[in-house]
Amino acid sequence: MTELAPLSFANGDGPLADLSVLELVGEFGTYAGQLLSDLGAAVRRVAHPLSTADAEAALGELSGVDVLIRSGGADTPELPGFDPATIRSAHPRLIQAVLTPFGSDGPKAGCPSTDLVRLAAGGLLWLGGYPDGEPVAPYGGQSSLCTAIFAVISVLLAVLERDHTGQGTTIDISAQEVLIQALETSLPEYELTGKVRRRAGSAPREAGTGLYRCADGYISMVAGRLGTARAWRRLREWLVEEEVPGAEELFDERWETLEFRQQPEAISRFAELFGAFAETRGKLELYLEAQRRSIALAPVNTPSEVLVDPQLAARDFFRQVPDEITGEPRTVPSPPYRFWVERDQVVAH
Amino acid sequence: MLRGIRVLDFCWVGAGALVTKLLAEHGAEVIKIESHARPDNLRLSPPYAPGVDGLDRSGYFASRNNDKRSFALNMSLPRGQQLARELASRCDLVTNNFRPGVMERWGLGYEDVAQLNPSVIYLAMSMQGADGPNRHYVGFGSTIAALAGLVQLSGQPNREPVGTGTHYPDHIPSPGHALVAVLAAIRRREQTGRGALIEVSQLEATVNMVASAISAAALGEEPKRQGNRSDLACPSGVFRCRGEDEWCALAARNQEQWLALAAVLDGRPLRDGSRPLAGGRLLADARFVTLEGRRAHEDELELAIAALVADRDRNELASSLQAAGVPAWPVLSSVDLLEDEQLRERNFWRSLTHPVLGRIAAPSAPFRAGEDRTGPTQAAPTLGEHTRELAHELLALSDQEIDVLAAEQVLW
Repeated sequence: MTELAPLSFANGDGPLADLSVLELVGEFGTYAGQLLSDLGAAVRRVAHPLSTADAEAALGELSGVDVLIRSGGADTPELPGFDPATIRSAHPRLIQAVLTPFGSDGPKAGCPSTDLVRLAAGGLLWLGGYPDGEPVAPYGGQSSLCTAIFAVISVLLAVLERDHTGQGTTIDISAQEVLIQALETSLPEYELTGKVRRRAGSAPREAGTGLYRCADGYISMVAGRLGTARAWRRLREWLVEEEVPGAEELFDERWETLEFRQQPEAISRFAELFGAFAETRGKLELYLEAQRRSIALAPVNTPSEVLVDPQLAARDFFRQVPDEITGEPRTVPSPPYRFWVERDQVVAH
Repeated sequence: MLRGIRVLDFCWVGAGALVTKLLAEHGAEVIKIESHARPDNLRLSPPYAPGVDGLDRSGYFASRNNDKRSFALNMSLPRGQQLARELASRCDLVTNNFRPGVMERWGLGYEDVAQLNPSVIYLAMSMQGADGPNRHYVGFGSTIAALAGLVQLSGQPNREPVGTGTHYPDHIPSPGHALVAVLAAIRRREQTGRGALIEVSQLEATVNMVASAISAAALGEEPKRQGNRSDLACPSGVFRCRGEDEWCALAARNQEQWLALAAVLDGRPLRDGSRPLAGGRLLADARFVTLEGRRAHEDELELAIAALVADRDRNELASSLQAAGVPAWPVLSSVDLLEDEQLRERNFWRSLTHPVLGRIAAPSAPFRAGEDRTGPTQAAPTLGEHTRELAHELLALSDQEIDVLAAEQVLW
């Protein structure tokens, strides 16, 4: 077996190198185009047309385009003659992905949105936030990014299909439906038990699992369920080894069961013990020591701390690229996957 | 679409199972390997069908493993590992989300499999990647979200970070990005005949979801938690309505939407062409006339809105705002979603019949190509449901050989 080498798609030889993509930048941003470009597609971006002249210019550019990425719905008004159906009939080989808040049909298709409103419609907002306050959205326009990811998945399926049939298609991607993929157990929980899961906040849900304060911020930990029973025992041993006052109590028989560790008294007693220990230690120190003991604990990092994470640094994850608008260097993550092939495959290329 | 693609699937628990679920829903034949000696942990995770014991009662497992075939193979035995290698030689994809080293110990690392099957596409989805000092670190979706910066950034500015309330990276960031890579690799293989190893670090997949915050931090502009507020809309918030734990999300992105919002909340619906009347609580308030004013007095603005909507029905409020062109939606729970009119009209929910769980709802794939709605068609398999037929088909074992291997707890 020969050595493996990373495969880069930067030099026009990726799996999508033969594809020309036009991305009309609208409500859902540019992440779909970026993912396609990372795979070697030639991606051109223009603003979503707002005037008839812009629309005519964009229409003129469509011949020779394989994939058109566009936003739709009330937040991205369509100009006459520039609707997906008209374009589809003129370009039967074109794969057209239309990213919309709620889908291209149905009674609410024409409703305007923001990221927050899409998160509400998709059920993810309901699960976030503090139990004593309103639901709170995750940071950073997640509805647009998630919709872009599924748009690219659907485009790639359509490309595989077109490779065989020669036929393009129009794909309708609904942000509401995309977010429903992220609701964890809440649907089966309701169906099987009748219980409607609601936001639980970041407070521990059981002893050993949740967010805990430490000297310089917070850590997140999972020790106790989903096959981490051993991690709970190791956590207990750790606290005793560190001579945390009262930690021996965790060896009492009742602490053995997850049922007990889910009781409010167990949650608060553990939080007291662990809190006294963690408040004198930094999150990195806790991270290293917990992981040495195979306990799933991680620091709650700020973005600046992510930038200096030793694992990401060792993998050369962050790159400098010129900003599209200003040309100034910008620090960005590498693509979210890596391809490796036998070294002779790379050389042969 | 993926007919003819056969997947040997070692993706257990979280993120990986959603990758092979979507592949299975689009025509790939996914063979899930687990055993009574070592079942997928999700089979032991609630919610369970009430009053039932055993390994086939988990709704959690069922929600991620529909349309797959289950092959019970004891990987702790050398004979089990050997049969797995034979299966791998007859598959197009081999997938796992174990820690680095587990597949290698079974003789099923990429290099092992590629020797038997040079054009194999091999997906390895570990927590933090196959190399680097922390490659062996353990984690879950929630700890990966913390490590990636997403937890710190999500929540109210004056309270502790709160994250998403879920293991979010497991649901879209990690499986979604892995699917992008796998589908691209399938196309590359169709064009060149060559396989590849795809490595997905779940941490790196999740950091890509906060890339703008990372770029800003690198420039010295550390982003902060901002609750439900937004740089793109003001107001932007979630407000309590009449009833128990009922809420409506609403926002105004521009002056037109603000005037419409204020008119609805002040009780003066805008009619086509008409100008809103002055005199309502929001419209009359000089602080809220311009975007700058609303931003400068956002606390007061939110209090005023909260007072105006507290007695309103969330569905009626959202419909009135939507009709006026204002972004608004009731904050939907799982039960609300199952009844949501928009989803129903789009035939989003499917119904599957599971031998233990009975009838369960399953979401379609969140996209529709042409008129074709794709998604789940078969409920998740019981453990080992397809062992015998796959042993015949792919390993050419006789019934007698299968019985012996079952008695030896190899096919078990």
